[in-house]
Amino acid sequence: MQKILVWDWPVRLGHWLMVGGFILAWLTSESESLRLVHVLSGGVVVAVALFRLPWGFIGSRYARFVDFVRGPGSVVDYLRSLIRLDPDHHTGHNPAGGWAIVLLLGLGIATGLVGWAMYNELGGDWLEELHEGLAATMLTVVFIHVAGVISGSLLHGENLVRAMITGHKQGSPDAAIASARPLAAIILIAWVGVAAWWLAS
Amino acid sequence: MRAIPAVALLLASLACHAETPQQIRQIYVAEASSQQAGFTPSAKRGEAFFRQRFANNDKMPACTSCHTDSPLNAGEHAVTGKSIKPLAVAANPNRLSDPAKVEKWFGRNCKEVVGRACTPAEKADFVTFLSEVR
Repeated sequence: MQKILVWDWPVRLGHWLMVGGFILAWLTSESESLRLVHVLSGGVVVAVALFRLPWGFIGSRYARFVDFVRGPGSVVDYLRSLIRLDPDHHTGHNPAGGWAIVLLLGLGIATGLVGWAMYNELGGDWLEELHEGLAATMLTVVFIHVAGVISGSLLHGENLVRAMITGHKQGSPDAAIASARPLAAIILIAWVGVAAWWLAS
Repeated sequence: MRAIPAVALLLASLACHAETPQQIRQIYVAEASSQQAGFTPSAKRGEAFFRQRFANNDKMPACTSCHTDSPLNAGEHAVTGKSIKPLAVAANPNRLSDPAKVEKWFGRNCKEVVGRACTPAEKADFVTFLSEVR
């Protein structure tokens, strides 16, 4: 076991753009003066999530949905191993983290698109209720995700937050990804800029 | 048998929790009266409040910043430029039909434009102005 490259650039950059977008959108949700900031930051969340869907098929090994989307049985097994304080080590995402990704992508897209419909008055007051309900559900999943990351980091003795910044985790050398895919990260930035701006206009 | 349409109407109104502007005004008048004996709402004071400039927010110093000089007109958001439906009940019958929505927007906009929570008396006056302006 040594430090190997696991997360490519689009995964890491996309993750932190989504974190920033979600926090900003949450903090500006009650303000009219900051309405554009709210809509733009929500647009960033939607744009990143929409990029992540194809990236889950064409991205590097651990970015692919087939690598981390597992059935409920695997999730239960993993959570049991967490409770035993001896979690199974996964080079990529663990099964619980995999479900956090799927839920947060789905909720990010749904919350943002409902917000976009509200912004353009494409429905009644029910859109507002739905938008708030989806956002609150997403915040709940974020808290569970963060709690899982902290407990997983402590129990594995591996800083998963730092891994999501540097891209490196413990693993055998032959399990490393070959490239961090920097070019795709540049495309991600360009796409997020264009899509968020379009959603907010 | 003549009662059936009336009952149907009552059930329909219960189903969508629709209230009339008068009922919403009454909620705030009752609240204001408990703080200030003999309070009567005034559309004139409500209009003055609508036009008052508060030294709190540069982008939206008054209600009129977004809602134009008349609540009968459609407004335009001072920051996003998105259109806002008229506030006056005469121009937009959906206004003042949902107490929770009215309270929510008083909460948000008073904090941001006025710089504090509005008092029940201010709310009663404002609601009276919006329901009476022609």
